[in-house]
Amino acid sequence: MTQKPGKLRAEFRTELPSGWAFDEIEARIGPIRDQLFKQIGQPVRRKEDRRLVTGRGRFTDDFSVPGECYAALVRSPYPHARIKGIDPSAALELPGVLAVYTGVDALADGLGPIPHSPVPSTKFDVRLTAPDGEAPFIGPHLLLPIDKARHVGEAVAVVIADTKARAEDAAERVDVDWEELPHVTDSLEAIRPGSPRLWDEVPDNTLVCSHFGDADATDAAFQSAAHRVRAKFHINRVTAVTIEPRAALADYDKASARSTLYAGSGGAVRQKRELASVLGIDPDDLRVLSYDVGGNFGARNRVYVEFGLILWASRKLERPVKFTATRSEAFLTDYQGRDLHTTVELALDENGQFLAMRADNVSNVGARCVSLSPLSKGSGLITGSYHIPVAHLVARAVFTNTMCTQAYRSSGRPEVTYAIERLVEIAAEQCGFDPIDLRRRNLVSADQMPYRNAVGAIYDSGAYEENMDKAMALFQWPDIAARRDDARARGKLLGVGLANYVESSIGSPVERAEIAVSPDGEVEVVIGTQPSGQGHETSFAQVVADMLQMPVEAVTITLGDTDIVSVGGGSHSGRSMRHAGTVMTMASADLLAEARRRAGAEFGTPAEDLAFEDGAFKCRATNRFLTLSDLSTATAPLAVARTNEMHAPVFPNGTAICEVEIDPDSCQIEITRYASVDDVGRCINPLIVHGQSHGGIAQGVGQAMWEDCAIDPSSGQQIAGSLLDYGMPRADNVPSFDCEIAEVLSPTNPLGIKAGGEGGTTPALATVTLAVLDALRPLGVRDISMPITPERIWQALASAREANMQELVP
Amino acid sequence: MTTVSLTINGDRRQVDVEDRTLLVDLLRETLGMTGTHVGCDTTQCGACTVILDGKAVKSCTILAVMAEGAELRTIEGLADGDTLHPMQQAFCDNHALQCGFCTPGMIMAAVNIIERHGTDIDESLVRRELEGNLCRCTGYHNIVKAVLDVAGKLPRASE
Ligand code: FES
Ligand code: FES
Repeated sequence: MTQKPGKLRAEFRTELPSGWAFDEIEARIGPIRDQLFKQIGQPVRRKEDRRLVTGRGRFTDDFSVPGECYAALVRSPYPHARIKGIDPSAALELPGVLAVYTGVDALADGLGPIPHSPVPSTKFDVRLTAPDGEAPFIGPHLLLPIDKARHVGEAVAVVIADTKARAEDAAERVDVDWEELPHVTDSLEAIRPGSPRLWDEVPDNTLVCSHFGDADATDAAFQSAAHRVRAKFHINRVTAVTIEPRAALADYDKASARSTLYAGSGGAVRQKRELASVLGIDPDDLRVLSYDVGGNFGARNRVYVEFGLILWASRKLERPVKFTATRSEAFLTDYQGRDLHTTVELALDENGQFLAMRADNVSNVGARCVSLSPLSKGSGLITGSYHIPVAHLVARAVFTNTMCTQAYRSSGRPEVTYAIERLVEIAAEQCGFDPIDLRRRNLVSADQMPYRNAVGAIYDSGAYEENMDKAMALFQWPDIAARRDDARARGKLLGVGLANYVESSIGSPVERAEIAVSPDGEVEVVIGTQPSGQGHETSFAQVVADMLQMPVEAVTITLGDTDIVSVGGGSHSGRSMRHAGTVMTMASADLLAEARRRAGAEFGTPAEDLAFEDGAFKCRATNRFLTLSDLSTATAPLAVARTNEMHAPVFPNGTAICEVEIDPDSCQIEITRYASVDDVGRCINPLIVHGQSHGGIAQGVGQAMWEDCAIDPSSGQQIAGSLLDYGMPRADNVPSFDCEIAEVLSPTNPLGIKAGGEGGTTPALATVTLAVLDALRPLGVRDISMPITPERIWQALASAREANMQELVP
Repeated sequence: MTTVSLTINGDRRQVDVEDRTLLVDLLRETLGMTGTHVGCDTTQCGACTVILDGKAVKSCTILAVMAEGAELRTIEGLADGDTLHPMQQAFCDNHALQCGFCTPGMIMAAVNIIERHGTDIDESLVRRELEGNLCRCTGYHNIVKAVLDVAGKLPRASE
């Protein structure tokens, strides 16, 4: 069935850039022997659970400082409006109101913009530039704007009062003199000539326009192709809905001139660096604490204006200031996700071999550019899991009068996976191929790895076809026909959707680990990633426990306090386990080398003659041994630190299959089955990885079925402002999942880790949509957009009926 | 200000509150019991779920003064010293929590399911009953499993 001409392999096995593969010698770690793994790969119960199930978690709003007061924001009711003046006098008259600050005050105090670095920065990220090839203009992100508000909900003033209720009351009495301006919320509208302009620096709202791949070769392949298909999709805008709303508490100590910020985030180190820059203070004068974080999914990676505002206010007022967003504020002003318009085309030969692909991707970054990660990640993966010899992509990023978008769970990859998988399915239908056969024929094969795709991404490893076979077996694929009949007998339409995916996991390149073994046998690891539910305290401890051959209970992971953790890229882009695992492995090797030296000196034997077994150095001649804790003293503790920089991305991959049943009368959809196989590279803790997959699937399904940050184009208002009107995955609308982990190790890091978690989300938009279309195909439905609500199904059925009728009329 | 007398986790308490104080604010702000969480402003998320006179309720939607004379149970009172309540233990064993923010409310709701239905429950009942408690991290799979585990029943799917 599979046809992989040998010449393709020779042609596309790729030259590897230096530093791509991991070099154990250069990294000064010994060979890693799997046989020694006792904890790695085990479903170890989580260390963090006990405090969380007993109500002793430490979430941001749980902290209070004596004398704290509260911040409330004055927000723009308009998508685009000039600020002609702000009069705080009525607010200041209210009891308990301490201050009202505006952008003019912030400017007078010398506050700078948030130094977002939206262009991904590793050596392997695709290069996004402005249309002229220069660095893109991103729109300065001042804490409070002075000229105009550029989206609904943008804060234009902050009120501080002694209670939260008083601050909110006062915020309503701040009088802003607005001059409404024309606005635009959709990115395709925004690039039309004559559209309202957000920034004078970017007259056509297009801040990024880059080309990738080979346009001429692609054109040539299209011209000679037997088949060509084309489709246009919009991957709708959604928001993270972390169940813990974003919150922060700023405390200023006048005596030391230092500020402390309690703020859950995706990484305290970045918050410290960027907020110190906003305030114009020495980073050493700011301590950021980020303990338990109630979900992130990308939304908490970047700095929020409120964090800077309360730090500034607490320094001016010399009082602690707290801000906790309401859910409505979270809906309006949490960084949002997706919102990509894409046009894709595929050329095939008469046998169904893919020849070439074109894509035109337009990302809506919102009112200013906080992150280009979604556009960038997606750009490298337009060809998906398939071998497509040539491709051409135009990638654009566009300003609109909407909240800024950011990486959201599996940044950029669900979008392009949706596009390629739907396109492949359309090709199968239009050209008369079986959709599974067509996929099989074109999947990148295991012996093509490492494989460079047509836009330059180097897939590290994987067995894509095996994933598909395993997922189909898990799903009991051969039973589909019987289940379809059974559903029909109950008056239901059953549909199945399968999607293959590959995603890149890159993330900021630097990570540091400090490991110390105390004389009483406790191992302390300090690391700069920041979990928000991923269980780092457990899985990281498993890695260090195995490296040092110590029990996992002895290992404590310290994170989230910038007075202790100095370096670290935070948790995003599935980077944590891989970056932390690598640097912890290196630091462990350093620690063992030092311990070996000490043991040799102690025994009076050459260090290299000692055996290391069960956490102790043994002298074979004398049978004496010394444990790591024996080799650590109060005056000379066994302690090391290692910083590592790692650029090569990894490519988690897999296959997911969704089954739905649709009631053709009520148009209700039920997900009746969901199976997935995810290649995460080495899996440290399967309990945790499965949990990540489950949550990821639910978020992808959520976007496909209910979630939508719909914006009314005429008013610029976001329609969903609460959990009453933003549909969410709930216990009663998602099924249990059948998930399997595949482990094809990555050659780019010592443990062979790829990443887990985002793979649940990446294919889910496609699987759900394809399942629904499969169910509705007999009734003539060929397209449906997300979220697939009963109303959309009803409309699709109605227009299919109408089209059928017209065909019948001569 | 009104004085409210109620029993919290077995302790009699008398608390002075403003009439507009919500029950969850009495717990979090007045008493510093921060185990009960707030995740929304429209009675949708269930992070604030407590057991009031034997019924799971959303403490963000009840005024503190309405709890006069009531018996209230929160996440802080569930464990018996160092021994976790079976539901807390099942949440740990089945990895039914990730970030842990929804967890206190989820556990209180789950405890109440068993209290009301006994162990005669199945997956679809658990899913229906937990419809008012949102979790963004787990996809509910392991939460459902944990509740069924306490009842001695496990669902069909793999881990
Ligand atoms: S806080 Fe969301 S339901 Fe109570
Ligand atoms: S565990 Fe994070 S919201 Fe449920």
